[in-house]
Amino acid sequence: MKKEIIIGFLCFLIATSICVLYRSVNKYTTEGQVSVQSVAENRLKDRVLAEQENYEKLSQELQNAQSKLENLRRDSANNSDEAKKLEKELSELNRLLGYTDVKGKGIIIKLEDAEASDENNKDSLVHDLDLLDIVNELFNAGAEAISINGQRILANTAINCNGNVVRINNEKVGAPFVINAIGLPNGLYGAMTRPDGYLDLMASGKIKIQIDKVENDELVVPKYTGTIQHQYMEVAE
Amino acid sequence: MVYITIIICSALGILLGLNLPTISYTYSGYLAIAIIAALDSVFGGLTSILKKNFDIRIFVSGFFGNAILAMLLTYLGERLNVDIYLAAVIVFVGRMFTNLSIIRRIYIEKWSKKYDEKHNAKQE
Repeated sequence: MKKEIIIGFLCFLIATSICVLYRSVNKYTTEGQVSVQSVAENRLKDRVLAEQENYEKLSQELQNAQSKLENLRRDSANNSDEAKKLEKELSELNRLLGYTDVKGKGIIIKLEDAEASDENNKDSLVHDLDLLDIVNELFNAGAEAISINGQRILANTAINCNGNVVRINNEKVGAPFVINAIGLPNGLYGAMTRPDGYLDLMASGKIKIQIDKVENDELVVPKYTGTIQHQYMEVAE
Repeated sequence: MVYITIIICSALGILLGLNLPTISYTYSGYLAIAIIAALDSVFGGLTSILKKNFDIRIFVSGFFGNAILAMLLTYLGERLNVDIYLAAVIVFVGRMFTNLSIIRRIYIEKWSKKYDEKHNAKQE
């Protein structure tokens, strides 16, 4: 019958749009973008989201451009021995500076705020100074490359507090923290788990700590994606 | 018969909806208000089918007209910084409840009539 077909089609439309809307709203809330539903706030939120997307796109573009540059450099280096030498030196220096992804064996430390964390109990949260101390201990134990949530720790990296997140290399990084450190796994593990070590102290504040050894040379520490600028520094003769 | 069509079509719609891309946050409010308006029309349609004064033209024009008007009001409210969409929600949901109560009444009357007839037949 005609009317049933039309009612059915309209129900089909409603069910489709409910499903799409449900999934969209689910997506916003699970991604932590929106919790309050108010049409008046939408535009601002949308702009923030758009900016985020734009930022991600631009940093992707930057990475593409960098890898392109790398390829071009390699290609041009193939022409002469001199250039080859320079290219080798350049890549070696980049590796030392932290401009290349590196991998090797090492350990992964996962730090999570205590379940019953509150702002008044300082020991239940992971702070910037905790991360700083851990990085310090890792370097002291012979770590060769460290990253925290994908942010490479360089010679001039600053780790500081930024409200409820931590700022590393001027990028906001939030809990849970995953610290990748390349070095001798047993040595690093031993240094991090020693009695009265820093992680031992943190564990007393109910912070969840998990340390895994990676023995198969596959632990990746990503490169630093920003630029290092030296304006005032000169070589002293 | 109507209910079977509704259930089958809704199931198909859910299947399609699961495979469509999600929409941006700005438009989710408009879609939500349109859904409520459309649901109201469907309940109205059901009521009129039961009352036997169903007119397909009124139904379809109400379905799309209400949805579009609700979206326009939402847009206007956003421009004027007044949550006009709340008025639309209240009207549509209120009408949904009214229609639902009419549907309920019709069915209960039908069933109690049947029950009475059976009961009387037994007594005789």
